Amino acid sequence: MSESVLKLHNVCKRYGDFTAVDNISLSIPKGSVYGFLGPNGAGKTTTIRMILDIIRPDTGQIEVLGSPSAMNVRHRIGYLPEEKGLYKKMKVWAIIAYFGALQGLPRKQARNKAFELLERYGLSDFANSAIESLSKGMGQKVQVLASIVHEPELVILDEPFSGLDPVNQEVLEQLIRDLSDNGQTVIFSTHVMQHAERLCERLLLITQGRKVFDGTVADAHAIIPRRIVLETCESVQSLEAIDGVLSIKRLPPDLTGVRPAGSCQWELYVREQADPQEILQHCFSNGVTLSRFDFTQASLHDVFMHLVGTEAREHKFR
Amino acid sequence: MTSLCTWLARRPGNTSSAKLMTMRVTLLIASREYLENVKTKGFWLGVLLVPVIFFGIFYLSSSLATATPTRYFVLVDQSGQYESAVDAAIQREHQRRVMQDFMAYLQENRKQTAGTTLPQTSNSRLNELIDDFGNDEVSALDGWVEGGGLDMALQMARPYLREDAPPFEEPRPQFIQAKVPSSIDTAASPEQIVEAMRPYLADERRLTVNGESVPLFALVLIPEDVNTDIVRPDTLQTLMTDDNAPRGVQYWTANLTDTRLSNAIQTSLNDAIRQQEYDNRGINIQQVRAVQRTRMPVSQLDPNKAEGEEAVSFADTFRQWAPMGFVYLIFISLMQSVQYLLSNTIEEKSNRIIEVLLASVTPSELMMGKLLGIGATGITTIAAWIVSFFVFLQVYQSVETVMIAEILTVLMNSELLPYFVFYYLCCYALYAGIFLAIGSLCNTLKEAQSLIMPLMLILVVPVLTMSFVAQDPNGTMARIMSWIPLFTPFTMMNRAAAQPPMVDVVGTTLVLLICIVAVLWLSGRIFRQGILRTGQPPRIVELWRMMKRRGQHG
Repeated sequence: MSESVLKLHNVCKRYGDFTAVDNISLSIPKGSVYGFLGPNGAGKTTTIRMILDIIRPDTGQIEVLGSPSAMNVRHRIGYLPEEKGLYKKMKVWAIIAYFGALQGLPRKQARNKAFELLERYGLSDFANSAIESLSKGMGQKVQVLASIVHEPELVILDEPFSGLDPVNQEVLEQLIRDLSDNGQTVIFSTHVMQHAERLCERLLLITQGRKVFDGTVADAHAIIPRRIVLETCESVQSLEAIDGVLSIKRLPPDLTGVRPAGSCQWELYVREQADPQEILQHCFSNGVTLSRFDFTQASLHDVFMHLVGTEAREHKFR
Repeated sequence: MTSLCTWLARRPGNTSSAKLMTMRVTLLIASREYLENVKTKGFWLGVLLVPVIFFGIFYLSSSLATATPTRYFVLVDQSGQYESAVDAAIQREHQRRVMQDFMAYLQENRKQTAGTTLPQTSNSRLNELIDDFGNDEVSALDGWVEGGGLDMALQMARPYLREDAPPFEEPRPQFIQAKVPSSIDTAASPEQIVEAMRPYLADERRLTVNGESVPLFALVLIPEDVNTDIVRPDTLQTLMTDDNAPRGVQYWTANLTDTRLSNAIQTSLNDAIRQQEYDNRGINIQQVRAVQRTRMPVSQLDPNKAEGEEAVSFADTFRQWAPMGFVYLIFISLMQSVQYLLSNTIEEKSNRIIEVLLASVTPSELMMGKLLGIGATGITTIAAWIVSFFVFLQVYQSVETVMIAEILTVLMNSELLPYFVFYYLCCYALYAGIFLAIGSLCNTLKEAQSLIMPLMLILVVPVLTMSFVAQDPNGTMARIMSWIPLFTPFTMMNRAAAQPPMVDVVGTTLVLLICIVAVLWLSGRIFRQGILRTGQPPRIVELWRMMKRRGQHG
């Protein structure tokens, strides 16, 4: 495994009786795009703030870029906080250059870099506008650029997609890919699964401060067994004999009247490595007439709902 | 300052390159802070408004003095004895103004002779006049009138005026006697006359003078039996027991603030009856005048000056009062800085810029950067005021500005300036730390306002006590206040011209410096924790805990 840029070991943070982060450990390999997923209030932002040493964990160790405190290596880190804000009166290029300079770039280089980034991500028309004249989404893009102007090795983006329109979400996804191509490690938090699915190599899923999943996207998909939906008039109980089929369940009859009379739906859960061809073969050879054969991979959304759904709902209505 | 900032930002494992980085970042924050403040409208308003108001008041007060309207009054002299005395009073009042204007004209247009404030004249008459004018206006006026007034003075002064001096413009008479309206019967009883004149006094009816309709300013009514009301030492007794009916000359006016006419008439009438008394007693009036003009000069001397230079000049007196000006300057500038300290910190907090900033810089760097940047803003303001002062003096030359220019020369060369610079910086460092800490605890200016209230009250104390301290600079109150660090910069500045005891100077300075370091250190702790806080400002107990706790990166 390649060298890791960030390590958390048994990190906890409590606010009075409330446990915000409960015993989280993780390790993020260099150059990866890593997603922090979790419902609202799961502890994503608290974890990120602890990584940046803005707040201290109660117990546990954090190692960022080989240092025990992000403060010592802060010029190698880029950070976009959850709550976005910029100096309202400053010009777009000036604020990007200012943050670049604060992060150690020589002033002139920071300025050039600011214009270069604005050009590349379609904001050059606004370079001389004041922040207060921009829309909220536009300001957010500027802030993302301000957080990466010094080409940090580790980029941490807290909810970077919230508040952006689909076009700009696309631009931001491209930006994250660019960073990754450049060998920079990107961590971002979100509760929109599609972004994570498209971008991330690895995921961390936390809920109520606890880690419920940490691994690759493929690992995540494997958590929920694959599902096959069959529609037929005959019984399919015999399929249970096939190796790899975990369970067969008859779905409640559909009352909409779309399906042919007498047919019903069956839900099969199968192992990851099970071959759908074999099931199809079995149906043919046993004379089972199928009006539907639906083999889908569980989406990350399903995984998310599976892992945190009940808890999150309970939490919400408690 | 720089060493202080690196000291504040000291963290374990800091190398010299990290220190260099700290300095660089601090200066970067300071310059952004400075430019941001300097770009605001409020800053320029402050820079321009203060001189404009100052010179506006200056200009208005000098122009208003000459702009008082001509006053018309009516004289009804039933006794038939005092009309000439009232005339004389009016004449004298007018001559007083002419003389004053002429003296100003003389100063403004005299030939420039190096090193002297007054023209060296060989004319003893003019010298006498100038000397009288400075010491005893009544004698000067007597001399003026007896000497032949303006014509004489102009003739005497001509050789000493600049060649390009404009001709002297005689001021308009301010009090003009109008004829009694024809509807008034001057032979009626005083009560009837006053009753008939009431509409005029209330400005319901107007007088007609030279075809112009003018308001009546005053009615001077001298009853027929006025002489029975003359007060003499032996009639004082009856005066005490008498009823409230008006006695003597009746002066009716709706304007109670402009007392020049009543004063002049009173003086003139008294002169007239005293003249009568002198005559009655066979005393030579000329001798009395001569006696009255005899005087003993009192020279003010300063024991702290070298032998032969003890004489207290105008500049010396001014130097004694100058510290008050400096105290004001410190106060005004501090008030301006407070505004920036609070609003800039709160902007960063409420806009959530603070979190990005703290990912790039340490709270100590941020705090020091702010202190330096806003301090530079304050110094710029003061510098701008001083420059505008000089520009004004160059552009607008007059007697008063010549005086101000002299004052400035005194200030710039005095020992007060280093005191001012020192106490200004100390005062700023002391209070700015506190205000920054307050700003870091609040999310809105409104929250901050309630927290800074007690501090503002404390700040008012040195300003309120300023003139007491100036009058007794080494008194008990001044000394006690000097030892209270929050007051030290103000009070010690206030006392600076009075050579306070060495113990006070050195002692209070030490206490002040220790206090500043402590305040900045504690403020730093509060700032570090407060800056990321959300929600209500903390209570006192929480604040205490914050001070005790080591900060995140402390």
